Amino acid sequence: MTVKNAPSKWGRAKFGGSSAHLLAASLAAGVLLSGALGWLFMVLRNGDRPLLAFAVMAVFTLPVAAVLAWAVLVDRATLAGALEKPEDSVESAWYEKAASGAFTDILLVGGLGCAALSFLGTEGTAGPILGSVVAFAMLDFGARYLWLKKTAA
Amino acid sequence: MENTLTSRRSELGWSQQRLADELGVSRQTIISIEKGRYDPSLPLAFRLAAVFHCRIEDLFTPGHAPGK
Repeated sequence: MTVKNAPSKWGRAKFGGSSAHLLAASLAAGVLLSGALGWLFMVLRNGDRPLLAFAVMAVFTLPVAAVLAWAVLVDRATLAGALEKPEDSVESAWYEKAASGAFTDILLVGGLGCAALSFLGTEGTAGPILGSVVAFAMLDFGARYLWLKKTAA
Repeated sequence: MENTLTSRRSELGWSQQRLADELGVSRQTIISIEKGRYDPSLPLAFRLAAVFHCRIEDLFTPGHAPGK
């Protein structure tokens, strides 16, 4: 393996080139994606300041869009420290157990929450409720994963 | 499951990281298998047997159930 082809921190793209090429392509794709999201937000909201809406949404989604593009474009085999068989590692088993447990908890909490709202006759808006469900799912999964990791030590 | 992974690895003079790199898995995977807290997948068990030039049955044995 030559120095040029050695695994690196940021890896190289599936289409070849250096890490710099991959990062540039990821940034360019991220700009396009965040620009599209900004445009969509501007059109759907149809507010008083469309350009401001576009700019704010585009700027705040750019980091995530660029990272997502990097994740899609990178060749895993070129990443330093990447495992050859991640599916056989214990971390994959932890992930599956934590995800399975979190799914069950979401069903339980969601079901009880719906029942409670029905009894109380309370109505809520979709955005905060769905956001709460996602936040709960992430926290639950994280806690379960960390517990499995701790008990394995 | 009980296993003889630790002793066989020591016979080769390998570290856990060395064995993990050989198998393409994380060091934590080797730790968990050796402590009996994680049963490897069948492909991984076959790779382990190949690394130690033995059969899977020589590496892993069923653990005793409580009360038996």
